[in-house]
Amino acid sequence: MNKRRKYSLIIAFAIMLAGLFTYGYQLREGLIVTDMSNLFPWGLYVSALAFFVGNAAGGLVLSASVYMFGITKLKPFAKIGALTAFANVTAAMLIVIPDIGQPLRLWHILRYPQFSSPLAWDVFVLSAYAVLTIVYLYILMLPDLKGPGMKELSEKLAKRIAPIALVFAIGIHVVTAWIFSTQMGREWWFTAALAPDFLAVAVFVGTTVVLMASVLLYGIKDQYKEGYSILVKIITAMFFVHLFLMYNDFFIKAWYGAESATHVFNILMDSILIHIFEVLAPLLAIILLNSKVRNSVSGVVVSGVILMAGVFAHRFLIMPPAFNAIPLTIKPLGFIDTYWSYPIATGRYVEGVSTIADYWNYSPTWVEFTLLSGVIAYMYFVVALGVSILPVKKED
Amino acid sequence: MRRGWVIDLEKCIGCRSCAVACKQHNAQPPGNWWATVETPGSKYHLTMPEQGRGYFLPVTCQHCKNAPCVKVCPVEATYKDKDGMVLVDFERCIGCRYCMSACPYGVRQFNWEDPKKTLGKLEYVENYSYGYPLNHRKEHNGVNRLVYMKTRFKGVVEKCVFCVHYYDNEGLDPACVRGCPGHARFVGDLEDPNSTVSQLIRDNEAFTLIPEKGTEPSCFYLPPSRKKKHMTEV
Repeated sequence: MNKRRKYSLIIAFAIMLAGLFTYGYQLREGLIVTDMSNLFPWGLYVSALAFFVGNAAGGLVLSASVYMFGITKLKPFAKIGALTAFANVTAAMLIVIPDIGQPLRLWHILRYPQFSSPLAWDVFVLSAYAVLTIVYLYILMLPDLKGPGMKELSEKLAKRIAPIALVFAIGIHVVTAWIFSTQMGREWWFTAALAPDFLAVAVFVGTTVVLMASVLLYGIKDQYKEGYSILVKIITAMFFVHLFLMYNDFFIKAWYGAESATHVFNILMDSILIHIFEVLAPLLAIILLNSKVRNSVSGVVVSGVILMAGVFAHRFLIMPPAFNAIPLTIKPLGFIDTYWSYPIATGRYVEGVSTIADYWNYSPTWVEFTLLSGVIAYMYFVVALGVSILPVKKED
Repeated sequence: MRRGWVIDLEKCIGCRSCAVACKQHNAQPPGNWWATVETPGSKYHLTMPEQGRGYFLPVTCQHCKNAPCVKVCPVEATYKDKDGMVLVDFERCIGCRYCMSACPYGVRQFNWEDPKKTLGKLEYVENYSYGYPLNHRKEHNGVNRLVYMKTRFKGVVEKCVFCVHYYDNEGLDPACVRGCPGHARFVGDLEDPNSTVSQLIRDNEAFTLIPEKGTEPSCFYLPPSRKKKHMTEV
């Protein structure tokens, strides 16, 4: 293990510990230490769930490309793809734990699962995907672990598991999207475009994660350049698919112009800078990745970070236009020009401040940011430790 | 049996007695309100958007027939009782708040901190708290559910329980119905065509809130008569 990686692991571990202590503090005080309220019941944690689930798509892209579509140029990255997928899908499960008010009752999901709830399915598909990625990684490492004689078996098993993994890999994005898009009360989410859009975002951000990890692991060498070029093509194409799906949905809602849709767009305008960022940041990253910048390790990493920041902004924006457009918004009897939201009790008692509100300017607290940083550090830790102690890198 | 409400907006004077009675009887900590009354069209209650044309709108859990909160709960902690009441099992709830997100009426409340601690902020004499004192359990699908308790757990969701404890133990109407000075609230069986609520709904152009969301609420509103007067003039 080189010195730089060692230090980075120590730093990541320290951030994980900070996250853990902060979680202890949140457990003692309750979720009051976050900035969520009854009007805005989900915040950074659930946004981050969607973010990490998206990042985990890399394993899918790699296994499907190599073993179903025969793109052998990507084969050296298959193992790192599976490892990043495992790290991200477990990070997704970790970040929802602090969102749970009674974490000691989490076993209720296994004991009393309710099958009409997309959240119950999500727990199932995320766990299954986590197990699958680790099994898949093990199969790919067989020749390194048990000798070159296992090469044939490894190939055969990888080919068999690829289609199953693909089903679950698509499943985690679709089911995560359904958590939101089944809610008829929330105009911002209630669209059939949400699940395909989650899939598109997942494929381009998941591939970016694999690209960054591969470049860091292998460096820019001639024999990998074609592989990197394919990854960038996938990222570019799926980013535009995402833009199409998102703006297609906006267009249809805006064209019809129902008051409920206008209401949502007005609220989106409050976060317009975040919206501009979620579009322009990945666009800039993609322009950079399609240029000479791709020939330097730091160039790829910086572009990747910009892209992921844009995707995180996209995930953050899942919440405000959904919750601040209160579903119980009516035209009161006899008032033609009024469009009025019924205010909600915030659930937070602060002396001198009204507990009834119709808008919640959510800004995550240091507790939420620290916990999120802890889980990001965990994700990095798993990947960095994995490449250090496991034969993930294919030696030339 | 499908328990439901009728709220007569003609009779409602916006006094919020229902909200206060509910809060007292059902031991809601500061910041949490299971029942509220607002002035439609206005940012401030009792301040009319237009002189002489205002009315008041009480809102509480609508105990929907097609309740989104029931369907989204991953652990079946919130469920539909055989009498049509949507209840929460405080021992089962994991506090994921999915139901709060799914509810279009914004009536679900979360215990963001230990309610005892919030109550402490009110500076009552030590250890005093208000509310119906006994736990109430009710069987559902062979499991005894804790559907009412005076001091709820930190990190669980709560909401109107249709005063199930008064209903089961004393055969009484909900606190909001009993506490309404203008007799604007009625409660009864929506499936019985001869019940008072069914007759009121039939005879008074009753409506429900945001019916386009397909939730089929069990809470019906009678329009203020000013509107009806206008209809007869036409």
